[in-house]
Amino acid sequence: MLKKTITFLFFLVVLSSCKKEVKNTIDVTHLNWEEVIVNGSNKTVTLMMWQGDQFINNYVKNYIAPAVKEKYNITLNVVNGQGNVIVQTLLAEIQAGKSNSNLDLLWINGETFYQLRQINALFGPFTAQLPNSLYVDYENPFIGKDFQKPTEGYEMPWGNVQMTLIYDSKKVEKPPKTREEFLTFVKEHPGKFTFDNHFTGLTFLKALLIDIAGGQEVLSGAFNEAKYNQYSKELWDYVKELKPYLWKKGETFPEAVATMHQLFANGELWFTMSNNDAEVDNKISEGLFSEDARAYVPNFGTIQNSHYMGIPKLSSKKEAAMLVANFMISPEAQLKKMDPMVWGDGTVLSMKKLNAGLRAKFKNLPSRKYAPKRTIIQQYALQEIAPEYMIRLAEDFRQNIILN
Amino acid sequence: MNTGKYIAIISKSIFVVFTLIPVALGFGYAFLYSFGILGILNDGFTLAHWKKVLFTPTLWESLGFSFYIALISLTIAIVFALIIAIYLKQKLQKGFLSIAIYLPLVFPALVMAFFSFLLLSKSGWLSRVSIRLGFINELEQFPNWINDNYGIGIIFTSILLITPFFIILYTNLYHHEKLDNYKELSQSLGASPINTLRKVLIPILLRKSIFTIVLFFIFVMSSYEVPLLLGKQHPQMISVFTVDKLQRFNLLDIPQAYAISCLYGLLVLGTMALFLVKHSKIKLK
Repeated sequence: MLKKTITFLFFLVVLSSCKKEVKNTIDVTHLNWEEVIVNGSNKTVTLMMWQGDQFINNYVKNYIAPAVKEKYNITLNVVNGQGNVIVQTLLAEIQAGKSNSNLDLLWINGETFYQLRQINALFGPFTAQLPNSLYVDYENPFIGKDFQKPTEGYEMPWGNVQMTLIYDSKKVEKPPKTREEFLTFVKEHPGKFTFDNHFTGLTFLKALLIDIAGGQEVLSGAFNEAKYNQYSKELWDYVKELKPYLWKKGETFPEAVATMHQLFANGELWFTMSNNDAEVDNKISEGLFSEDARAYVPNFGTIQNSHYMGIPKLSSKKEAAMLVANFMISPEAQLKKMDPMVWGDGTVLSMKKLNAGLRAKFKNLPSRKYAPKRTIIQQYALQEIAPEYMIRLAEDFRQNIILN
Repeated sequence: MNTGKYIAIISKSIFVVFTLIPVALGFGYAFLYSFGILGILNDGFTLAHWKKVLFTPTLWESLGFSFYIALISLTIAIVFALIIAIYLKQKLQKGFLSIAIYLPLVFPALVMAFFSFLLLSKSGWLSRVSIRLGFINELEQFPNWINDNYGIGIIFTSILLITPFFIILYTNLYHHEKLDNYKELSQSLGASPINTLRKVLIPILLRKSIFTIVLFFIFVMSSYEVPLLLGKQHPQMISVFTVDKLQRFNLLDIPQAYAISCLYGLLVLGTMALFLVKHSKIKLK
C-alpha cells in the first residue's frame, strides 16, 4: 500500500513538473477598439469584488450586468473577494503555472494594486485603449496616482471616495476636530471612540501620521525610512495617550469596520468611520444607523483615494473585461453610480472634459443629507502615502499598541 | 479474492487519494515554501523564516493561549456531558429534551459565535436585561465577556458547540457498555453511589472516549471563526495568528505563515503519535 502510494505521488510530481507553458498568442494591447469589440463580445466575464454593501451589489448586478449583456452580450459573473483574497488567488494561479485565470476583472486599489504589481499579475497597459478613458481626470493626483504610484495603464480608475468619521449627533454635540480635541474628548467620554484593526483604522492612522509630519508634502513620494521612524514614534506616543480611554481601554480593537458599525449602531460606540463618504447616507436608508448619525472630516484631514478595475495577466477574456471596464467609466454609468440613492460614489471623470449637457446632469444630482458636500471636504483631502507606510504602520501598530 | 477484500482495498484507496495525498501534498508545499524553495517572491533556500518564527514570543503565547482555551472548554464540556448523561439519561431517551440536545449541533461555529456576541457583549441582551432589572446603571458597567483577556466568550461558545457531541457520545456509551449492569453490580457489592460514580462509571466513560477527547481538544485548539469574532488581537489563538500572517498586508510574511502552520502541524502530529504509543502500551499491559 505504502509503496503504491509513493509511486503514485512520484507520478504526480513528475506530471506537474512537465506541464507545458501555454501563452496567449494575441497581444491585446495592440488591438484597436473594433477588434476588442469583436473579440470581447458574447463572453462571460468573472468580476471579483467586495460584496459587503447592498447598494454597491445592487448597482453592479442590476445596472452594469444588464447593460453589458445588452450592448455586447457579455455575461457578468460576480464573485466575492477583495484585497488579500484577490492577491492569494492570482498568486496561487501563477505559482501553479495555470495558463488561464479564473478571474477576468478585479476591483482593487492601493495596497492590492501594489502587491499585484509586485507579483506581476496584472495585464497592461490597457486603459488608453478604452474610448471612455478620454473623459477620465488623470491629471487629478487623487485619481491618476494610486498610493503615490502612477497607475501606468495597469488599472482603470472607477470611483473616488474620501474617508469620513461618523458620529451620533444626539450624544456628541461638538465632534473633535484636532488631535488635541480628540485627546480631551476621549478623556471626558472614555470607551466611546476607537478605530478598527484593518484598512479603515489604518487609513485613520495615516491621516494622523501626515498631520504629525506637518502636512502632505513631507511624506509624498517613495517610502522614506528615516521620516517614517521619526514621525511614527510621535504617532505611537499619541495613540498610547489615547489608548486607556478608547473602547475596551484600547486592549483590543474591532477586527473590521463592519464590527465597528455594529457597535456604533447599538450604541456601544459613539463614533465609527468609513472610507466612503457616501456610506452614512446609505447606512441610514438601510436602517442600520439612526438618523442622528452624521459624517464629518476633522481639520487635520482624511485620506481621499480612488478605486480601480484591473485585469489579470492570465485572463483569457481580456477584451471582454475591457468592454465592461469601458462601460463602467462611461458618463451614463458614472452618473448613475454617483446618485446617493444608488451608491453615491464619486466620479473619476473630469467635468472639464464632458460636454455642457452632461456636466449639468452631474451638477444636478440630488445631494446627500447626512454627510457634508464633496466640495466642502475636498479642502481637507489628503493623498494616499506610499504602500510601505501602511505595511509598516500595520506591523508597528501591533508591536507598539496591541502587544503593549 | 473475495468481495470483502476488494471493498477493503477500494476504501483504503479512497482514503489515501482523498485524504492522505491532499494533506501530504499541502504539507509538503507549505514546508518547501517556508524554506524559500517554492513561491514567486522567494529567492532560494533559507532558514530565515523559520528562525524568525521560532524566536517570535507571540507565537508561543498564541500556542499557550490556544492550549488554555481548549483545556478549559473541554473540561467544562465533559463535566456537563457526564452529569447530563449519567443523571438525565432517562429523560434524554424521548420527549423534548432528546430533540433539544441536538439543536446546537445544527448551528455552524460562526453562527454560534454571533449568538454569543449578541448575548454577552456590553450592548448585548444580558447587559440590557441587567439594566432593566437595575443591576447596573450603564452598559459600560457590564463585565467584559467578549474580546476579553481570558477568552470567556470563546470558551462559552466552544462549550456550546462541543457539549452536545459529548452528551450523545456518553449516553450511547452508557447504553452500549451496559453501565447500568456495572452500577447494580458495584452497588450490590456494597459500593456507595459516590464510589460507583468515581471508581466505575466515570473511569469507564472517560477511558472509552479518550480518542474523541483528544480529537476535540485539537479541534477547539485550532478553531478559527469563533476566536476571530470573539477574541482579542493579543493573545490570539493559533489559527487566527497564522491567517493574519498569511493575509495581512505584507506578502513577504507568507513564508512565515507557512512555517507556523508546519510547526503547528508537527506539534499536533507529534502529540498524537506520543499519545498513541502510550495508549497502546496501556492496552498491552
